[in-house]
Amino acid sequence: MRQPGEVELVNCTKRFGETAAVSDINLKIRAGTYCCLLGPSGCGKTTILRMIAGHETPTSGEVRIDGENVVGLPPVRRGTAMMFQDYALFPHLSCLDNVAFSLKMAGVDKAERRERAAKVLARVQMAQFADRVPAQLSGGQRQRIALARALITNPRVLLLDEPLSALDEFLRLHMRGELRRMQRDLGITFIHVTHTQPEAIALADLVVVMDHGHIEQAASAQDVYNNPHSAYVARFMGGQNVFAGRVSAVSNGMVALDLTEQGRIEFPAGDRPVPIGSTAHVSVRRDRIHLAKQGAAETVNAVRGKVSAIEYQGAWVKVTLESMGGEDFVVHMPDTEFFADPVNPGDSVRAHWKALDVHPLVGGAGRSDRPYSLGQN
Amino acid sequence: MKLAVPAKAVPYLEVAPLAIVLFLFFVIPMAMIFAASFFDYDMTGIIPTFTFHSYIELFTQRTTLDLYLQTLKYALIVWAITLTLGFTIAYFLAFHIRNPLIAIGLLLVCTVPFWTSNIIRMIAWIPLLGKYGLFNRGLMAVGVVDQPVQWLLFSDFAVILAYVYLFTLFMIVPIFNSMARIDRSLIEAAIDGGAGRFRILTEVVIPLSKTGIALGSILVITLVMGDFFVVKIMSGGRSASVVMGVFEDVNLLFYPPAAASAVVLLIIVTLIVSLILRVVDVRKELTGER
Amino acid sequence: MAHVSDRRPWTFYVLAVIFTLFVLFLYGPMACIYILSFQGPNGGLTFPLDGVSLDWFGALLHQQRTGDIAGAFSRSVPLALVVLSLTVICSLAAGLAFRRRFVGAGLIFYIAIASLIAPGLVLSVGIGLGFQMLDIPPRWYSSALGAHLTWTLPFGLLIMFTIFSRLSRSYEEAARDLGATTWQTLRHVIIPIVLPGLFGVALFGFTLSYDEFPRSWLTVGPYNTLPLEIWAMTTNVTSPALYALGTVTTVISFFVIAAALSSIALIQSRRTRRRVTRERELQAGS
Repeated sequence: MRQPGEVELVNCTKRFGETAAVSDINLKIRAGTYCCLLGPSGCGKTTILRMIAGHETPTSGEVRIDGENVVGLPPVRRGTAMMFQDYALFPHLSCLDNVAFSLKMAGVDKAERRERAAKVLARVQMAQFADRVPAQLSGGQRQRIALARALITNPRVLLLDEPLSALDEFLRLHMRGELRRMQRDLGITFIHVTHTQPEAIALADLVVVMDHGHIEQAASAQDVYNNPHSAYVARFMGGQNVFAGRVSAVSNGMVALDLTEQGRIEFPAGDRPVPIGSTAHVSVRRDRIHLAKQGAAETVNAVRGKVSAIEYQGAWVKVTLESMGGEDFVVHMPDTEFFADPVNPGDSVRAHWKALDVHPLVGGAGRSDRPYSLGQN
Repeated sequence: MKLAVPAKAVPYLEVAPLAIVLFLFFVIPMAMIFAASFFDYDMTGIIPTFTFHSYIELFTQRTTLDLYLQTLKYALIVWAITLTLGFTIAYFLAFHIRNPLIAIGLLLVCTVPFWTSNIIRMIAWIPLLGKYGLFNRGLMAVGVVDQPVQWLLFSDFAVILAYVYLFTLFMIVPIFNSMARIDRSLIEAAIDGGAGRFRILTEVVIPLSKTGIALGSILVITLVMGDFFVVKIMSGGRSASVVMGVFEDVNLLFYPPAAASAVVLLIIVTLIVSLILRVVDVRKELTGER
Repeated sequence: MAHVSDRRPWTFYVLAVIFTLFVLFLYGPMACIYILSFQGPNGGLTFPLDGVSLDWFGALLHQQRTGDIAGAFSRSVPLALVVLSLTVICSLAAGLAFRRRFVGAGLIFYIAIASLIAPGLVLSVGIGLGFQMLDIPPRWYSSALGAHLTWTLPFGLLIMFTIFSRLSRSYEEAARDLGATTWQTLRHVIIPIVLPGLFGVALFGFTLSYDEFPRSWLTVGPYNTLPLEIWAMTTNVTSPALYALGTVTTVISFFVIAAALSSIALIQSRRTRRRVTRERELQAGS
């Protein structure tokens, strides 16, 4: 296997006619990273993948692999291999011939290419299906063949376009684990496009959250989830309640935020200066919020509301309060805590949290016109 | 192949053979006809001048209008019959035959006679329809008539029958092709939505097979409007068509009036086809662009 | 077990009857001429049969009585084969071109449609005039070939459109990704996948040319192709020899189609056979 590949996009822009699919992107993916490009459809993630693969040429900017600008090079000279969303297995060739295809194109003689293809097939546990054609395979089997076909080229970078979207839930979880294991074994860079947050969080060393052709945040899964950069990321990743308000006071290292709807949030000021009078977004993780039935009339770092829905999730219970400002306010309670003193739909409750659990958001609400609903797939 | 062809040039190279053939053997000849329609002529040949003589002659003759109307009448009647018949048969094959292999087999059964010469297939009707043909013998034997029926052969009936016989296939194949691509779950969704048999037809099947209907219609209408041998043989000289007029003019070496008539016919056919293409963007539908 | 949903609706039976009648309508007249071509030596153009003989097939061989049928065959079949090859090559290439954007795509598409709808006889007059003005004698292998292509190419192009619309672009990208050149992609991926469609184009090209009369009329030159010979016979020959000719042309068409279909079958079976042997090899190896 080759040395793992480092991928870097420098000021990369791709326009299709008038619309920019990707605008001035800078991104560095270190060698041997499992990177997930995450975002809703149309956010430009597939375009980035295709530019790295060489199926699209950037309108401007550079794509570098291990320091070399590869714009204009054919895919095979880049050391990349792509796994297509529909797998694109050649329907007229057997699995073995599909896997051996690149060797055949390179002029490797028959005996050798069969031997090598058989080895890779064995690696993905598909040796016994060597002579089937793709139509005779199940979805998961097709995916393995597609993987084998991509891996036989010894890529530095493996590009996966929504590789799990065609599989059913059970198989998806199974293949997810296998992809991760495969990446660790091979030690090469994987770049994986997905629109599913749990998939990205479970797999990636580096999660790149995208919106309308821009990168909103590129960080570790833990960072993206815990310290979302912007309201957009917080909403898209889910698990957070996002608040908007106006900064009314800064004193004793605490910032006070008057919410647009009701109430007031106070939180420790970070390193960043927060001018009084500016609008700001903050988020609070749903599992850091506590519910109290009527009681103390504390109004700081608390909101009042009526319970509108309760969903039992197993280990925890999802309690939704009547929507405020069009956005649902959701509390995740551990099941033991919930059942110790259950609430019912229609109950008036007070939700409160600690000032330390308030996370200031730097970026804006995102470039989207339509808000992405929380927990969107 | 180690040819250094820039990627942008590839589609031009690929389309070149077709474009060159069509330019040499379609665009130029059509331009020749257009030019010839303004030439003059006498008994010895064509005189390359510029005159509207042929057009004036064409538009002042009483028979011209009759000829065009006659041709349009055939086209319209044959279109209506082949569309109904073709749609019905395509619908039967696409939706009522459950095994797609059997459906394609039955479609092949319909195409087999197509491998025989059109002229011979047409002539095959003569021993059936003639004065002492099988039909008349049958009718007289049963006692329906006691004199042979005269209008069976050498009549408008015979002409239309032959057209339907020869051209229905051009309607069936494209419509079947469109229907075969309709997702069966759409039909089920329509049934779930409470649509009856007729509503499924009008709301789902017809809109989704409009490409096939448009292509079939274009083929049948232009084939009828461009025909001369069916009219000549099956009407026994009692009827005519525009192209038959062209045929006879050319036989007499009267090229300019033939060309003028051809130009007018081409304009009419083009108008009809562009009307159909306006309703259905065949290219978009065929290439699957959205 | 009788499932309610498995019962055929009444429309099935109505449509089945219509279909059967249509097939009878198609085959009835054909059957008549096949039968009448075996008419006895003194029989006429209509029923009843006056004995059974092969006389009228024999008559086809005598040039004086029926024209140069054998010669017409010897031109029509090669012409149709050349048209077939050119149609397959040009429509495949053009179909590939139309998968991408290029300047003039719309114009060429509409020229192709125009070429499809132009009355064949008018086109024949145009080509005849053109050759006359350039002082090139028209021949079946030059002017008639071009005339036939104006009809088969647009057909081929439309068929290629429908074939390619079902061919996912990711196949080409996958091939490129795996290091195939444009040429290798065509040879090892696109052509094998669309092969059945290409056979369809080929069959279309063959029969459209083999049976083309109006476009051949002023373009074949002094030596007739088969449809022109048949046309001449309809006016000169009033004997069952005409029907015999119909039978012969049909038989030849059938041979061509059978050859085409069996070559498809042969390719398919070879593919499977190769696969089976390989499976054995693998089993022996393991």
